[in-house]
Amino acid sequence: MTEHQARKLASLTTPLLLIALLAVFVLLVGAFGDRSLGRMAAETLIRVTLVVGFWIFVGNSGVVSFGHAAFACVGAYVSAWVTLKPEMKTLLLTGLPDWLAQAEWHVLPAAVAAGAVAAVLALVTGAAILRLSGIAASIATFAFLAMVNTIWANWTPVTGGTSSVVGLARYVSPWVGLGWAAAAIVVAAVYATSASGLALRATREDEVAASASGIDRYRHRLAAYTVSAFFCGVGGALMGHFIGVINPDGFYLSLTFLMLAMLVMGGIGSLSGAVVGVLVVSIAVEGLVRLEKGVTLGATEIALPAGSQEILIGLAMILVLIFRPAGLLAGRDLSLPAAWVAGRAKTTK
Amino acid sequence: MRPAFMSSPRRVLHKMALALEQVGVAFGGFQALGAVSLTVQPGRVMGLIGPNGAGKTTCVNVLTGFQRPTEGRVILGERDVSRHSAHALRRLGVARTFQAGRLFTGLDVLDNLAVTGVGLGQSRHHAEVEAIRLLDWMGLTGMQSRSAAGLPYTDERRVAIARALMGKPQFLLLDEPAAGMSEPEAADLAALIRRIAIELGVGVLLIEHNVGLVLSVCAHVVVLDGGRVIEAGDRAAILSSRAVREAYLGADHPEAA
Repeated sequence: MTEHQARKLASLTTPLLLIALLAVFVLLVGAFGDRSLGRMAAETLIRVTLVVGFWIFVGNSGVVSFGHAAFACVGAYVSAWVTLKPEMKTLLLTGLPDWLAQAEWHVLPAAVAAGAVAAVLALVTGAAILRLSGIAASIATFAFLAMVNTIWANWTPVTGGTSSVVGLARYVSPWVGLGWAAAAIVVAAVYATSASGLALRATREDEVAASASGIDRYRHRLAAYTVSAFFCGVGGALMGHFIGVINPDGFYLSLTFLMLAMLVMGGIGSLSGAVVGVLVVSIAVEGLVRLEKGVTLGATEIALPAGSQEILIGLAMILVLIFRPAGLLAGRDLSLPAAWVAGRAKTTK
Repeated sequence: MRPAFMSSPRRVLHKMALALEQVGVAFGGFQALGAVSLTVQPGRVMGLIGPNGAGKTTCVNVLTGFQRPTEGRVILGERDVSRHSAHALRRLGVARTFQAGRLFTGLDVLDNLAVTGVGLGQSRHHAEVEAIRLLDWMGLTGMQSRSAAGLPYTDERRVAIARALMGKPQFLLLDEPAAGMSEPEAADLAALIRRIAIELGVGVLLIEHNVGLVLSVCAHVVVLDGGRVIEAGDRAAILSSRAVREAYLGADHPEAA
């Protein structure tokens, strides 16, 4: 077995290790955490689904997208449209077509539909946006985000406008989150090792050499954009069913910033970076929020001033960018050592 | 339809040639190429030489779809491919290398080749099988797993040539492959270029500053200066050409007179 083959084989262990890491996280929180920590775990896993979805496009293409929160928005509303009780919809969302107003789907097909609608939207809008290159494409994705937000905030009969849509079934436990996060990780790993993923990474490395290699950049970008949007759509649906209330501004700038911050902190260059970034930021935020509320140590109570959590997270991000500009994992993936994997493969043969 | 007797005799004779027909390229007011015609034949090595700024790289860019000609046509076989994109021309069998190696530095050597196979529509598995065979043919087998970043200069060039040979192209355009090489290294390169033409039947266009290398490998040489073809012919014709001497040495030079 050549070193190249051993490395490829070892890279297959990456998604398994990442899923195991998340499963350990859920088990630890379940065993030792309180109710609020359980909610934090579920929220973290939803974010893993979102950010891994986001990474499928951004990580492989190297094009920063500001538009993926819009796919989460669309996904959340699609799931609300098909799962809310019909009597609720005739009251709140008067403009829905009859078949949608009467729909009462199970939450799982609803989440899949949320992803599928987001993916179709990505395919159609990406067909225009991804013809642009570099920074122009990034700005176009931002325009797309603003458009979706404006439409959703004003299409009141269908989206409820700026007033929140309430009453979504709150079914997202840490285990549900883990299921979708695992699905996103497996698809992301399969895409990254696929022919299209390899071709897209080549365009990230060197656009000119990639076209001299016969690679149609546009086609592979569009493929990644579509797959990527699917998991952001699903993540949006999960967010809605986690809080129970949705509102267009919940899927706008702050979500965009959060997704980018997590990805940049972990490292845009690898799938493990995306997962680790979410874990680190989520755990740090949780810890700081608790410190803000105050902890008792013996007789003294220590509390951080309110608002210091945002400042400290911002500070941590700056420090990471200064000392590890490629993120905590710097483009590397967690995997079992190639030599060990090669040895195991030989003995099992 | 044009009557048969009006069609260009050259195109009738060499159906699968790659040619520029009266190509001009202007960047704003600057005329980089003017009325350039040349033909690359399958299985032959053609040289393209000329002083700095003569338009050699622009020629390669036009032939490979990286630069649209403002006048004239690019012909592949019987097709006008002037408006084809670079990746589409690569898929039609026109491959190139770059002055700066431009390897994908985040990938290992094998994947640098495999990704080209993938770009040409092969599966990852097929692409790897061909890549391994090709590295073997070029005597680079041991380099498969090495990262493309930080390869020695000559190896980088050879890997770039191997990458350009993926998918059996009909034509290979080499943009200064010997720049910075020592004489023995350049001689190895010359041997490789001959093998590519003879064993693989690929038509090669060799751009070089190393005129000795070009004259030793190429049966036919085109000389550009100021964006125009000033001489074309075999080794003897180039060596005896007054225009070539003037372009290289300057008109006032005593040897040019």
